[in-house]
Amino acid sequence: MAENDLEFVDDRGGLGVGEDVIGDRPRRYQRRRPRNIVPDYVDWKDVDLLRQFVPERGKIMPRRISGITAKDQRRIAKAIKRARSMAMLPFVAD
Amino acid sequence: MANRTYEVMYIINPETEADKIEKLNEAVGKLIEKEGGTVIRMDDVGIRNLAYPIQKKHEGHYVLFEIEGTGQEIMELERRMRVNDLILRYITVRVDEDRKTATKLRTKREARAAKRASFRPTAEATEAQAEA
Repeated sequence: MAENDLEFVDDRGGLGVGEDVIGDRPRRYQRRRPRNIVPDYVDWKDVDLLRQFVPERGKIMPRRISGITAKDQRRIAKAIKRARSMAMLPFVAD
Repeated sequence: MANRTYEVMYIINPETEADKIEKLNEAVGKLIEKEGGTVIRMDDVGIRNLAYPIQKKHEGHYVLFEIEGTGQEIMELERRMRVNDLILRYITVRVDEDRKTATKLRTKREARAAKRASFRPTAEATEAQAEA
């Protein structure tokens, strides 16, 4: 890489391979793209739809991962919370 | 006041006898009519597993009502559901506004798609262009 002046040096120091520092350099995520198409009307009773945004643990998937618009994220989050209160989705799954 | 649409869902104790559940649902319907609302849809979903235990129960009998009214009947209904110990949980969601925005979005998108389609050259038009 002669034409490239920048060389990637691991200057994090003391960390082994595969370890990660939060707050050091920005962690890279995959480019956001609307993987999931959110319907115009988000039905809080539609558990199958909402499950797509609830990973294993039962937490609501963050927007940077779900890749949906902010508006859709709010609607999905609200629907998930409603479904949770009616025991259709877990608050915590272990 | 403009009429509103609500979804009311409640979970009944699964150990309740079927006729008692039926009676309860009937009573809910009657109460709504009495308070000036109309029942649009009534759906007895039946026994479903709960995602977490409520009052040490792992199952629940779900019932869904769709109600149109002013909100007055919701107030009375919620008050009664609170004191009824057959009902483990209930929720009321106002749906008319979200539905309205959804239809608005859909018509807008359809209009846009139609407009785009009108600009897109049809098969005959491309053929005519190729001949010329």
